[in-house]
Amino acid sequence: MANRSTHSAYAISAPAGLELDRVEMLELHYFMQLNRRLENRLGHLYRQNQVVGGLYSSLGQEACSVGSAYALEDGDFVGPMIRNLGAVLVRGVRPLDVVAQYCARAIGPTRGKDQNLHFGWVERGLIAPISVVGALIPVMAGVALEMKLHGKAQVALTYIGDGGMSTTDFHEGLNFAAVHKLPLILIVENNGYAYSTPTSRQAAVPDLAVRARGYGCHGEIADGNDVLAMVDVVRRARERCAAGAGPVMVEAKTFRRKGHAEHDDAGYVPAALRAEWERRDPLDAFRRFLLEEMDVAAADLDDIERKADEEVERSVEEALAAPFPDASIAREDVYA
Amino acid sequence: MPEKTVAGKGSDRTVEVPVEARLKMLHYMKLVREIEDRIERKLYRQGKIVGGVYVGRGQEAISVGTAIHMVKDDVVAPSHRDMGVFLMRGVTPRRIIAQYMGRAAGLTKGRDGNMHMGDMDYNVIAFVSHLADNVPVSAGVALAFKMRGEKLVCLCYHGEGATSRGDWHEGINLASVHKLPVVYFINNNSYAYSTPTSLQYAIEDVASRAEGYGMPWEVADGNDIIAVYGAAKRAIDRARAGGGPSLVEYKTFRMTGHSAHDDAGYVPPELFEEWKRRDPIVRFENALIEEEAITPARIEEMQRECVAIIDDAVDWAEQQPYPDPADVTKGVYYDEG
Repeated sequence: MANRSTHSAYAISAPAGLELDRVEMLELHYFMQLNRRLENRLGHLYRQNQVVGGLYSSLGQEACSVGSAYALEDGDFVGPMIRNLGAVLVRGVRPLDVVAQYCARAIGPTRGKDQNLHFGWVERGLIAPISVVGALIPVMAGVALEMKLHGKAQVALTYIGDGGMSTTDFHEGLNFAAVHKLPLILIVENNGYAYSTPTSRQAAVPDLAVRARGYGCHGEIADGNDVLAMVDVVRRARERCAAGAGPVMVEAKTFRRKGHAEHDDAGYVPAALRAEWERRDPLDAFRRFLLEEMDVAAADLDDIERKADEEVERSVEEALAAPFPDASIAREDVYA
Repeated sequence: MPEKTVAGKGSDRTVEVPVEARLKMLHYMKLVREIEDRIERKLYRQGKIVGGVYVGRGQEAISVGTAIHMVKDDVVAPSHRDMGVFLMRGVTPRRIIAQYMGRAAGLTKGRDGNMHMGDMDYNVIAFVSHLADNVPVSAGVALAFKMRGEKLVCLCYHGEGATSRGDWHEGINLASVHKLPVVYFINNNSYAYSTPTSLQYAIEDVASRAEGYGMPWEVADGNDIIAVYGAAKRAIDRARAGGGPSLVEYKTFRMTGHSAHDDAGYVPPELFEEWKRRDPIVRFENALIEEEAITPARIEEMQRECVAIIDDAVDWAEQQPYPDPADVTKGVYYDEG
């Protein structure tokens, strides 16, 4: 079960049987730190009016994105949502690409034509997020259908929030995937709120993962703030899917510690609830795990964090120096 | 290969059904069969029906055994195989036949065909062709009951194919989050047009999805009216007492094609044979005779009464005029009076 007692310090441990070496663990640390530091810096740029459009933070949910994407293999496909910057970084998108995209520069993945994480990168196995929450599920079921039809031992993975689970597309897409036993992994990121709607007003069940049974697919609950648990659960899901056992739904219990987007102060979230989840910070917990359980030197972790900061700063400098798109390209890329 | 549907699974037949209610249900099941047979096998083939014909042959127990529990001010949203709902609510066979013939006396005044009809005088919501659309509509009706503090229930019917639709999920979820007084009946007749249940969902009982919504659910033999009656009673009583929505699945079989133009060549003939032996009317008649609640002679008489009612309805409907073209703009928006 995901929710451990919160009166004592929140601690994570390595799941039994999880094979991750030291180098891989430090890589997870790097990606989570990069995720947070990049978003933090984007928050500054947003306040400086350098970001064009909205900014959606995954503060407190980094372990979910990073761990789930890290468990995938080359050739797998990911359809991230707005809060899955970590997954995008793990798939090899550079912070420079991300900053340029947020700041609408011509060197960004959509050449300054779309905002935030609304871009895909097929060569990196990334399908562009769709703003209409839930719509990615049937799309990713289609990606998984292609894998099945061509006998590929690959998987498609996508995310949905607790709110997105109430949509038409969630139901139709997951049912289709289940009936056809498609290799689809659906990560339900239950972050407590769909904009201002708490999960208790979204569903009449405490665990959203219970819905998996209603489709005939395997469901699991994982601690979404524990990066090792996320790697473990998605690796096991991947094995199931690639073996032809049909889709897997993983409910990652986590919490959205900022507003829906940068413009939302989330005054509707009780302060005590937010404080409780601050104590369960996924980055702090993993850092403690590396120091205490893996005997990693604090200096090594500091180096990694500094490296992430430097990467972010370099990216910001380079992105802001790049031009906005030229009006002459407006009609390019509209059709294939 | 289409999977075999197990009839009778989980049926709870312990409910007490007064003799008067039993005889009433037998009458209505026979009346449903007679009116649908007349429409599908005679009037449609004589070219007297305007548009398509969808019947619920073999599924009569479901609409009759559920609608019998309604009180006057309850609201019902039937699907296209629930003729029994209309008849039990008091819509006359005359007006139903007129509806099928496109006459001005039909429920839609000749503007729409077949089961696409409703009548708020009887609290029957018109069927929406987009299957499962009546699921959120019914949740809305039940929300009104709840907000007004009324002890009323909305009954909503759909097939197993409709459970794959997004509005089914959205409507059921809304009803469960707000604990609304609505009962959803899944008429699981084994085929959604030509799609067998094995290609519709990957679970045994589609009603078990209720667990994902925190809702009670039950599966019953849809060809056994006592089981239908009991499952409906439990769910409706619960909704009326403030216990929220339920999902009730009736396993049955569509003894025709999807509609009168579909020969259902995709259905293995042995399935029809198997389900013919479970005919809900014949089963119920035999049980009633065995219990000495009715005599074979009275059943024959009841049949003649149903035939006479439908004969009268057809004669009446045929004399009704088609709609006046001058009225074509009426009824598009709400008309006063």
